[in-house]
Amino acid sequence: MQKHEEVSSFTREAGTKMENKGLINSEDIQIQGLLDRYLHLQVSSKSVSLEEHLEEDSIAAFVEGNLLERETQPIIKHLVDCSFCRHVTSELVKLDFALADEEVMQVAVADEKPSRVSEVLNGLLSRIFGTTDGAVFAHHEKEEGTEKNENSEENKK
Amino acid sequence: MNHEDLLTDCESVINEMFARCARNAPNFGEIEECFKNSLKKTVQKYLSTASFETPTTKEITDFLQQIQADDLFLAMACANGNERAWWEFDQQHRAYLERVARHLARTEIDAQEVVDTVYVELYGTRVVDGERVSKFATYSGRGSLRGWLRTVIWHSLVDLHRASHDEVSLDEMTENVGESYTHASFANTNLGGEDEMIEQIAKDRYRKATLTAIENAFASLDNHEKLLLLYYHVEDLKLREIARMVENSASPLRDWFQRKSANRESNPDSRIHESTIMRWLEKSYAKVLKLFRTELRSIHNLSEEEVEICLELATQDLASPNLYRNLMTT
Repeated sequence: MQKHEEVSSFTREAGTKMENKGLINSEDIQIQGLLDRYLHLQVSSKSVSLEEHLEEDSIAAFVEGNLLERETQPIIKHLVDCSFCRHVTSELVKLDFALADEEVMQVAVADEKPSRVSEVLNGLLSRIFGTTDGAVFAHHEKEEGTEKNENSEENKK
Repeated sequence: MNHEDLLTDCESVINEMFARCARNAPNFGEIEECFKNSLKKTVQKYLSTASFETPTTKEITDFLQQIQADDLFLAMACANGNERAWWEFDQQHRAYLERVARHLARTEIDAQEVVDTVYVELYGTRVVDGERVSKFATYSGRGSLRGWLRTVIWHSLVDLHRASHDEVSLDEMTENVGESYTHASFANTNLGGEDEMIEQIAKDRYRKATLTAIENAFASLDNHEKLLLLYYHVEDLKLREIARMVENSASPLRDWFQRKSANRESNPDSRIHESTIMRWLEKSYAKVLKLFRTELRSIHNLSEEEVEICLELATQDLASPNLYRNLMTT
């Protein structure tokens, strides 16, 4: 709502900066305000069904600018039409900045022994489903102490 | 050259990628087949983009070399249930996942729940044709693993909210996840006496023309210009945030905007500043303004003075929601 209160005088950062420097005239401000209102109306009147949304893989790669033109064209077209996916991409960019402002926690790895994935996941499953059925994870269990020792040696290299 | 031949030509590149990754992480178990299959599947998807001609072998090779191979290798090993890979994953990414979740979720409980859910999804508890289906199998390596993970977290949070708010639409739901929200509201027009009503009718005529013209002007833009405007106006992305999206010199968005730029040719890797994004926006505004004026004059037969009136409306309320809905249905 606050955004719309601003629209009549168009005080977004670019407009304000340019206006202060005398770089844009009132006509430019008017067209920007007009466009701003139109785009908000357009978004509120459109909806895309869930089946049509972009895959997480595509969204993530797009946000990082890692796609080639061949891949990007249909994605951009989708993002123009789909407010859901567009909102996700924009929030992911905002998230990047927000996280960059936070302190990065350094995780001490060297001395820590690998914990078994089965233990971690069984704990999660018991919290979520109320079960501790470990059979799901049994297929790749190896003897404690063999692989881990090898791995820690390899890891040091 | 057909797609099969292209894939055969790229076999050696795929083999090299696997060998390099296997050297970097020798304890990730037997994943050669699924790693290579994943790469081939990604190439097939790239090849199948209908609107383009079949790429050359060099293009495919370049494409493969852009893939985050080590991230993909780790993901495939995790999908395969390799203990060492899971340990690596946990060490490298768990703290990040938790930070992302805490940042996006409303409560600490939601954040923890979503991280737990994502871990379970990543491991995969669903079994299809006797095989466990891991979420990792959907990661292609086109972006970084972290970038993919935060997208997965985002979607899980939306799912979490949907589960607890059945009656809320998906769009409303996304507005409640993360920092921003989008709202469209036009102030209702207050009608006064007869004079005001006559004035209002005249205004409505211009409003209708204005809305149709701006709608058509926007529709005439290229998709990348539309997206830039939508990011800026609707999603409230700041200039620096848009700049971040195009900071990769290979970004097609950046490429499109810089096609005619001399700087692009002389210095293709130059940093994109906020001022650059501002210039792109200005160009798009100028294009919209030109199209808008042309339509009002040629289609709606408005005089210069009337066009100015329409532009003046930009500083007032353009229309009631009802009028806009009428426009959309005609």
